[in-house]
Amino acid sequence: MAIRIDPENNETPALSDMVDFSGQRVLEIGCGNGRVTWRYADKAAHVTGIDPDVKQIALAKEQLPSQLQDRIEFHSIAFEDFASASEASAFDIVILARSLC
Amino acid sequence: MVHALEEIHRLLKPNGALIDIHPVSEPSRIELHQAEKVDLVGLLSVRQWCFEFEQADSALAEVIQQGLFTEERHALFDLPTHYASAAELGLDLKESVEIFARDAQAAIEPLPHLAVLTARAEELMRAAVSGAELIVHERTHISRLRPT
Repeated sequence: MAIRIDPENNETPALSDMVDFSGQRVLEIGCGNGRVTWRYADKAAHVTGIDPDVKQIALAKEQLPSQLQDRIEFHSIAFEDFASASEASAFDIVILARSLC
Repeated sequence: MVHALEEIHRLLKPNGALIDIHPVSEPSRIELHQAEKVDLVGLLSVRQWCFEFEQADSALAEVIQQGLFTEERHALFDLPTHYASAAELGLDLKESVEIFARDAQAAIEPLPHLAVLTARAEELMRAAVSGAELIVHERTHISRLRPT
């Protein structure tokens, strides 16, 4: 059996209690394989997930549900590089899921 | 970390929100769950992880003090990770410690208590009923910050 992270789904209500994702443009820094992304992406207008780990981004892209393909993009890139190429005030919500530490 | 938060401030719309999620700096409980019964296997403490979590707290406190963000809301929740065997638990924790050290460009922290915990988990799992699981509970802090 594979390792299962949060099958109780504790993280989803914790996230939705913090912010309403409806119609929002979201940047998720350190998105890894998209484990957190799937918990809110269906509500957001658009999600950009970034992570420097090429393998994790490949996994995220593999697991990307077809109905979300038009509003989620994953990039293997370091945050500093992404930020320097991004315009100011581009996102409504930024998520740091274990990526500040 | 503070520089990254300054960049995030620039990327956010003025009425946007930063959501930070990271574990609290305290040992994680490892439990054996079988049927209705829960046994404590032990407490997992990784000094390097705790140090990083404290650094994250400090960076957030600094940007709040600088006036870049205000904290609007925060909460704690349990983030459980389930393992079907002690070997799976031991391997995953060992890999997590190694990956952390690699990413932080730090030496791999020696964790003699990890071998003890894994052995104890193995012993308890041998005596457990079919379908028993090992669960690592990580208390996790989530906060919403608004750019100011």
